[in-house]
Amino acid sequence: MAKQEKNTLSRRDFVTGAAVTLASASAGAAALSPLMDAEEIPTAEEFLQKHYRELTPADKKEIFQRIEEEIEKQYGVKATVDDPPPLDGVEFAYVLNIGRCIGCRRCVYACMEENNLSRDPQIQYIRVLKLKKGSIDLDTAIHDYPANEAADPDYFYMPVQCQHCRNAPCVKVCPVKATWMEKDGIVVVDYNWCIGCRYCEAACPYHARRFNWTRPGLSREDLNPDMAYLSNRPRMLGVMEKCTFCLQRTRKGRYPACLEVCPTGARKFGNLRDPDSEVRRILENERVFVLKQSLGTLPKFYYVFAK
Amino acid sequence: MAESKQSEQKHNYGLLVTVPVCLLLALVFVFVTSGPARQTGQTVVQPLSPAWYTPELPREEYRKNAVMVGNCFLCHAFWVKQPPDPTVRTPLFAHAAVKLNHGSNNRCYNCHLIIDRNKFVRNDGTGIMPQIPEQVCKRCHGLIYNDWQAGTHGARRGKWLVNKKFDQQTFTCTNCHDPHNPKFRFVNFAPPPTWPAKLVRQGRMENEGGPMSEYIIGPEPREVF
Repeated sequence: MAKQEKNTLSRRDFVTGAAVTLASASAGAAALSPLMDAEEIPTAEEFLQKHYRELTPADKKEIFQRIEEEIEKQYGVKATVDDPPPLDGVEFAYVLNIGRCIGCRRCVYACMEENNLSRDPQIQYIRVLKLKKGSIDLDTAIHDYPANEAADPDYFYMPVQCQHCRNAPCVKVCPVKATWMEKDGIVVVDYNWCIGCRYCEAACPYHARRFNWTRPGLSREDLNPDMAYLSNRPRMLGVMEKCTFCLQRTRKGRYPACLEVCPTGARKFGNLRDPDSEVRRILENERVFVLKQSLGTLPKFYYVFAK
Repeated sequence: MAESKQSEQKHNYGLLVTVPVCLLLALVFVFVTSGPARQTGQTVVQPLSPAWYTPELPREEYRKNAVMVGNCFLCHAFWVKQPPDPTVRTPLFAHAAVKLNHGSNNRCYNCHLIIDRNKFVRNDGTGIMPQIPEQVCKRCHGLIYNDWQAGTHGARRGKWLVNKKFDQQTFTCTNCHDPHNPKFRFVNFAPPPTWPAKLVRQGRMENEGGPMSEYIIGPEPREVF
């Protein structure tokens, strides 16, 4: 009888165990309580997801479906997330004629609309700088001039966005390789891999990268449902984002949104390797410069003075 | 002695199971039942105004609604002096809205065909149909015309990679320029960014500096755009 009693759990041990459990559980909960205030906790699949470049087509299909379901749950919009591959023999380049830009900022809002950028707080990839005519003095440039100061004949307007450098400082500094240059010259970010350290924002000499300080505020009325994994799907809290030359459009042969909306035709986009393209004609015939050339970043975004 | 040792081991084993199981249950209760669920469908944000991002050219609407094209003979067959005067610069009364401001090109019949007002005039005096006004403009603006043909002047929409005929939408001179007053005008400007002040990176000494920062980092650097 005594032998059998010894094998079972005694009352004293059970009470001790329960007390220890309670104490350790409450201590653990107290230690983990900051997580309760965290705005976004990844699901298990999100947490275990591999880097974009290690994904197989089957993985991608599964992930894109998951993202589509999340978007539908969150915004009530049926979106398609896909992943257009880089085109062969294509290297994108952008040419902007600062002699023609009138600073109307329509590119800024077309970009917000196309790329599902946060409306509140506002995130914009393009900043239109207003500069006094005579020199390019970036120190005195203003980018929040009121709308009625656009098209001022004493000033010129220089939109600045991601320059897609061939020698990109943001790609070099990323500690987790969450940003890289694609085969067609577009610098992209894997939002799921980004840890939000903002090194790239600090490294970029053009201030072209934006950080999601809050959960992006998007309105479901004008959410763009044509999404791509690497560009305009809704971003998460605490990740970096940037201009991708609208790769969901340009890799399917379409013009980027900022170009399409430009009323002046100051923006030109095309294939740098095609000798007959618009950008090649401008680069060969006009007076072209790149911003902050002395830094050696070798941008694929060119500015041109032309009438 | 050996027996009691064995029983002690067993009793420790029981405790080892109880504690983690209870801990796990506690965590499940804390984080699954009352934990932070993803907020769904409660984003109420003002959408952007479509006027800010809809593609628009200065005279696109005007060209669409220009109903008088091709009807010039309604008046010009009967009411206008015959033979017409080729040196006329200001229309008498009918085209009062037209203010000609095209530099030294200041005569009506430099561009309009004198014998058929529905058409424009070529250098050799023949007519140009009103649907192809670029043929008139190219008489003087040949370099711009070459650029326009190559796609480096003027707006385009659609595809940069043209495979089929209507992949790319091109526009003609008068979609953007008023031929009587050809300087480019566009007035529908969009508002400046409204970034919340707390998210604007400032790095101001008075906000973030200490008593020694002036000596340590020197005078305040100016942020380059």
